[in-house]
Amino acid sequence: MNVLFGLVSAMLVGATPILLAAIGGTFTFYAGIFNIAMEGMMLVGAFCAVLGSFFLHSWVLGILCAVAGALIMAGIFVVFAVRLHTDEFLTGIALNLFAVGLTTFLLRDIFHVKGAFTDAGIRAIPAVRLPLIDGIPFLGRLLSGYNLIIYVAVLVTVLSAFVIFRTRFGLRLRGAGYNAACLNSSGVQASTIRVWSLIVCAVCCGLAGAYLSLGSVRLFSENMSAGRGWISLAAVILVSGNPWGIGVISLLFGFFDGLTVFLQGGRIPTQFTAMIPYVATLVSLYLYSVRKRRQA
Amino acid sequence: MRKQALSGILGVLAAFAIGALVLALQGFNPVTTYGALLQYSLFSGSGFTATWTRAVPLVLTGLSASIAFASGPVNLGQPGQLVMGALGATLVGLFVHLPSAFLIPLCILASLLGGALWSGLAALLKRAFAMDEFIVTLMLNFIADYFALWAITYPLFDHSASSPMTRPINTAAWLPDLGGVNTSVLFMVLAAVVCWLVMRRGRSGYEWRMTGQNSLFARIGGCKVDANYVRVMLVTGALAGLAGGLMIMGGPHRFVKGLGANYAWDGIMIAVVANNSISGAFLYGLLFSALQQGAIGMELVTAVPSEFIDVLQAVIVLVVVAGRVSLNMVFDRLATKRKLKESTG
Amino acid sequence: MARDVLIDLQHITKVFPPDTVALSDVSVSFESGEIHALVGENGAGKSTLMKVFYGLERRDAGNIFFRGARVEFRTPREAISAGIGMVHQEILLIPEYTVWQNIVLGAEPVRAFGTIDADRAREAVRQKIEEFQFNLEPDALVGDISVAARQKVEILKLLYRNVSVLVLDEPTAVLTPQEIPQLFAELARLRDKGHTIIFISHRLDEVLTLSDRVTVMRRGKVVGTSAASELTKEDLARQMVGREVLFTSRRQPQEPGEIVFRARGLNCRDPEHCARLHDATVEVCAGEIVGVAGVEGNGQFELVNAIMGLAPMTSGTLEVKGKDITHADILTRRTLIAFVPQDRGKMGASVAASILEDAIMTHHILDPRFRTWRGLGLNYRHAAEFVDRIRGQFTVNMGHSSDPFGSLSGGNQQKVILGRELLLETPFVLMDQPTRGLDVGSIEYVHQLLLDLRSRKRAVLLVSADLDELFMVADRIVVMCQGEVVADLATDMTSREEVGYYMLGGKEAVHAETGS
Repeated sequence: MNVLFGLVSAMLVGATPILLAAIGGTFTFYAGIFNIAMEGMMLVGAFCAVLGSFFLHSWVLGILCAVAGALIMAGIFVVFAVRLHTDEFLTGIALNLFAVGLTTFLLRDIFHVKGAFTDAGIRAIPAVRLPLIDGIPFLGRLLSGYNLIIYVAVLVTVLSAFVIFRTRFGLRLRGAGYNAACLNSSGVQASTIRVWSLIVCAVCCGLAGAYLSLGSVRLFSENMSAGRGWISLAAVILVSGNPWGIGVISLLFGFFDGLTVFLQGGRIPTQFTAMIPYVATLVSLYLYSVRKRRQA
Repeated sequence: MRKQALSGILGVLAAFAIGALVLALQGFNPVTTYGALLQYSLFSGSGFTATWTRAVPLVLTGLSASIAFASGPVNLGQPGQLVMGALGATLVGLFVHLPSAFLIPLCILASLLGGALWSGLAALLKRAFAMDEFIVTLMLNFIADYFALWAITYPLFDHSASSPMTRPINTAAWLPDLGGVNTSVLFMVLAAVVCWLVMRRGRSGYEWRMTGQNSLFARIGGCKVDANYVRVMLVTGALAGLAGGLMIMGGPHRFVKGLGANYAWDGIMIAVVANNSISGAFLYGLLFSALQQGAIGMELVTAVPSEFIDVLQAVIVLVVVAGRVSLNMVFDRLATKRKLKESTG
Repeated sequence: MARDVLIDLQHITKVFPPDTVALSDVSVSFESGEIHALVGENGAGKSTLMKVFYGLERRDAGNIFFRGARVEFRTPREAISAGIGMVHQEILLIPEYTVWQNIVLGAEPVRAFGTIDADRAREAVRQKIEEFQFNLEPDALVGDISVAARQKVEILKLLYRNVSVLVLDEPTAVLTPQEIPQLFAELARLRDKGHTIIFISHRLDEVLTLSDRVTVMRRGKVVGTSAASELTKEDLARQMVGREVLFTSRRQPQEPGEIVFRARGLNCRDPEHCARLHDATVEVCAGEIVGVAGVEGNGQFELVNAIMGLAPMTSGTLEVKGKDITHADILTRRTLIAFVPQDRGKMGASVAASILEDAIMTHHILDPRFRTWRGLGLNYRHAAEFVDRIRGQFTVNMGHSSDPFGSLSGGNQQKVILGRELLLETPFVLMDQPTRGLDVGSIEYVHQLLLDLRSRKRAVLLVSADLDELFMVADRIVVMCQGEVVADLATDMTSREEVGYYMLGGKEAVHAETGS
């Protein structure tokens, strides 16, 4: 029984950053932007979260700093890719590299450490007990007591499905992706919508980064995002953007990520268990292509 | 061509200016910092030769990414291919006993094959299952990293060492220095020349470039687009693998944990800033090598963390890429003004 | 009846970088409650003028007055709120959305939290449909309805926003001869209700039928404005081009030779198992130009793709000069077929490449003179000579062969492509919309080229949406409808009306004698 709860917990922990980043990526996907900067936004978010939490002694401010950091990254993307029309792919790659360099540099410069920074002064994001559900014998343990951000992630998923498919903004968002010229001639600037989608993406990636560094652990390490931004990109591509599908895929990836932690200490060398999330991504790409071929 | 050079030079200068601002904001003196940077990379004998040696993996992975991006395949797997190439060279260097004249070429071949195998895997998955090589090569990077880590921690582990690494490879496979510069530099230059010849004078290079610009046009024109795809992936994988092999043979002579971790991503960055040109990749590779080489000395003299160079490199990329587009817009606007005067005047 | 001046454009100038003067000191005025046609050849500047007015392009000089006051529409949104709407040549709709979604996009009725009030939207759209007597279903997906219906959606989109001025850019370009009178009736009804209509076209018969006044433009300048009743088609043509234009065919009678190209029973299915090509059969003889007519999307593109080997066929055979190429790879087909595709930028060339690089494609494989270094190298010197040959033989106006292909004008780009393809000296030539988007001079050049090919006994299959063009150069016209070849007519013995009927699937399939 404990094994089951452990696994579910590990699954949710692993899924959350991927889910948040992927939801953010969904917005830019629908808007027609080729956004590969989620990795960099998440990393900067993670760093800024530690920065805010440590110096301002509050995890709330840490989260806000994370979002602010990610927004700055999005701002750079807007300036280069939307205003100056540089290639979105190149800008994304450059931004990711910039994020790695900047966070590593500031880690040295501000905290005077190499590799990782952890300190008792960092305030972590707390876990939350749901008031009524907590009392229920089996379900309570399954549904309550997780980190705040995990519940936020679920909320974000539901909200995004609502926004994208039911609201005016959502209609225009998808319109920008389907046919930007049409949207422009309808009187709504596609570039404005795209900027908004980038802002939403930055907020989501900032939250994801904050969770990485302030959620289950309380530290920042170099290149902490470890490819999760790429995995969330894979999720967006696989699902073609639908938020519910993103939720399912993220849980799947989270499951494998959690499995890694779970299997550590077992007989299989850690290096192979560490490969699991990436192999899982490859396998899902394979299944996706098989499904596509069967449709044709 | 001239426009490229102009935007490159202006971009680098602008990036240095921005870097100076960042330094000043942190309380450092930009002049002494940049001075130390140049001093330790180009203006001292040992720095100069070290810059060239350090440039080998940068230029080779830059060439790999440049050729790939220019020809169509989005090969972001240079980090993994470098690792596999290094592993290949290490395996041959550890277990094959032959004199230098045979062992060195064999190790190089092994590194080429190692890199090509890894990129070939991605190409196979694309051709057989339509799996996008963008994500596949990225995932393979991580897998290669962990695989190599396992290899040097368990089967190939040097039991006399305190951290994961292999035994040194046979001395017959070591690449010697020549006047301070490692002979791996010769291989780098040779590779760059061959790449240039193939891309700009060869029939394959012409087809690859046209495919990269408009694959439908190339296909209608009779080019074997699918076969070319595989060839490009194999060649670029081999180049990255070569970088890994040369690093082992010319450097620490054994596979150490964390080998070449950042060089390959720098290679991608170099291709981006060079706009996928071969000569550009060569020059920017040298530039970034100089920056990285000088950073160590810079830190000794001015206490600026050497990671500042990572930031500077990324800023250079952003500014040069944006500058290229802006420069085009400026030229266009100038031409418009001229034409306006002609037609109404 | 004197009308008020509603829109006054004065001294408008517009330059496209680096050196194309699209509009040079253009002054035109439009009166309220009229249908005013803006006429000129491709590249005359009529679309550009309206785009400048509408806020899609920025002008470099001049002033715009609307209802007497000086205005500057910086975006289409501003123009729309002033009551001016433009329907573009390329239909700008979202196929994945329904009719009502497309119409209300940008002006959606909302409830709390920005949710769209779908019921209110549908009701408002239905009201407008009835008011203007358009025949549309609000919940239909735009991707599923006909091209003429899509055009109506575009117009309704503007009427929903209560525009009083409608600008239509080449609206008849996508319609069949039968659908045009319906559109004209709708436009006349709108004018009678008080709307002002500006109608851009290069089709002279239609312009004279529909409009009250006509303004002619040529090479970025206004030639003149007159009442339609005072003009003849010849007057208009002369003003458009600056000289006498012939409207008769220049085809000399000629006996076709042996069969060069034969496609039999081609079948092609797309992923949803719809028949894109159904039992298509076409033959072309040496010294013959066979035209393929049809409403866009009825299998012409699939036919071209099947011939070139770009799309797989489920059954059927293809033959050139007796050689079976049904399963041949693209390179083998290229030794026998020269191909000028409909989209220069997507299929015919790489816009980013240099002129030289685009000119030598395919030759670099088939012609051994392009090889050096034991076949590994490309002989760039021979390539330069080859480009010079194209330049001379096809009178291409270009700078250096290393200039980017995109720096050439549309007509010159097409000439380079034609030069490249025709110098392959293949027995069969396939051309898909070769004169689309070209100026009159270039169009005439291409027609002459086609007739030359014909007199030199090459076989040509010409897919074209321009019936005038087909009637001018083709010996036979083959009509495609819903993936089938429904008619095979001798040009001299049929009429545009008859072709139009077949295009809409009107009569029973009839096949003429091919004469061999």
